[in-house]
Amino acid sequence: MRTTSVFRAAVLGMVMAAVPVLAHHSFGAEFDVNKPLKLHGVVTKWELTNPHSWIHMDVKGPDGKVASWMIEGGSPNSLYRLGFNKESLPEGTEIVVEGYQAKDGSTRAVGAKLTFTDGRQLFLGGSAPGANPDTAGESGKK
Amino acid sequence: MRHLILGLMLIAAISVTLNSQTPAAKVSPARPSWTPESRTPDGQPDLEGYWSNVSITPMERPRELAAKEFYTDEELAKVEKDAQKPKSVAELGGTIAHYDFVQFGLDSTQAKHALNHRTSLVTDPPDGRIPAMNEEGRTRNAERAAARKRMGPYDGPESRPMSERCIFMTQGPPMLPEAYNANLQIQQGPGYVAILQEEIHDIRIIPLDGRPHIGANIHQYMGDSRGHWEGNTLVVDTTNFNDKTAFRGSSEHLHVIERFTRLDADTIRYQFTVEDPHTWDRPWTAELPITRIDGPLFEFACHEGNYGMANTLKGARAAEKAAEEKQNAK
Repeated sequence: MRTTSVFRAAVLGMVMAAVPVLAHHSFGAEFDVNKPLKLHGVVTKWELTNPHSWIHMDVKGPDGKVASWMIEGGSPNSLYRLGFNKESLPEGTEIVVEGYQAKDGSTRAVGAKLTFTDGRQLFLGGSAPGANPDTAGESGKK
Repeated sequence: MRHLILGLMLIAAISVTLNSQTPAAKVSPARPSWTPESRTPDGQPDLEGYWSNVSITPMERPRELAAKEFYTDEELAKVEKDAQKPKSVAELGGTIAHYDFVQFGLDSTQAKHALNHRTSLVTDPPDGRIPAMNEEGRTRNAERAAARKRMGPYDGPESRPMSERCIFMTQGPPMLPEAYNANLQIQQGPGYVAILQEEIHDIRIIPLDGRPHIGANIHQYMGDSRGHWEGNTLVVDTTNFNDKTAFRGSSEHLHVIERFTRLDADTIRYQFTVEDPHTWDRPWTAELPITRIDGPLFEFACHEGNYGMANTLKGARAAEKAAEEKQNAK
């Protein structure tokens, strides 16, 4: 019984320690949780900038008009360590983004979930050259 | 002047190291493997290399653990296993983790860290918790909070937290792990130690020649560091902080003493003691192991790519406009 509470406390402590600093800025300030969206489009550019990378994509609306969207993602430094580089997400790649639109209503969004059209996750499962999820997990097990 | 030139040479050396290394060339410079006798060319104990201070140990011991200072091997194995489990967005508090940090390689499951049997980073006081603030500290922090409130949280970049402004994160001193990219490089030259932290790309140059701190009227985000060796331990004394970094609510009188001791080829024990009688009635001490990683570090030009700031402020302006239109329509 005592052991259980010890671990519950420890895990809770870790979660609490992790939460406030997960992102560089608060989600709620930049994006609108009431504007979830799902975009299917074609990559036109990938900006590997810090603190966040930005995927640019063209998305065709139901009226046939094409809109340019910018999708916020994680820091390129960690992606680079996982084996991704500028060539990993070439122009013309079709992707699906589930996320939340910017609060100002512009065509910007945060990419909460990014997948290829066949459902593979964009940055997982060896989807990019050099990506190796096996060793990525191993490094934390020292 | 001579020291300035040496310092600049150190920066140049680090820059060259950064620029000349591609991921394909991760091999460290030819240097015999580390032993307790290892010395840099000018005779300092050798701390050089690429390091990570990622930690899954909380700063303060959960109260339920009371006087339990260390986990047993068995308990630690379970703590490690739990920490390795990628946490869902729901577990992390709704939309706080606003993009999939596992996909982007930002979670602790993908970062190397040293095993730490301690139940908290704080080692003194013995309860593993930061002492309660004294009255002066509480008053000052209440005033700071009131000032922030008066300014309005989205009025302009100045009203946003320093991390969002790409000015200062948790690089200290004392150095605590960043949420991600918690990597650092230590480089030693004659009479100096330089510490480069990947996030957010600050280099701390620490002279070892016993010179005094800069004038008491000069205040800096990262303070002013002076180092010396006590046996194999690098001791770094930092004063001259400004009142903006406010480490755990500290004042500009913050005084940090860090101790770096290399325990083995892969581990540095990093200890720090924090003193600030204007905030706490007693000093407190914490420690965490720093572990060796493969280099190089990468650039983290935070401010240049910080679209988030403009988006956040635009969002606030749009909300104000919408509220105004709603008001006018009545």
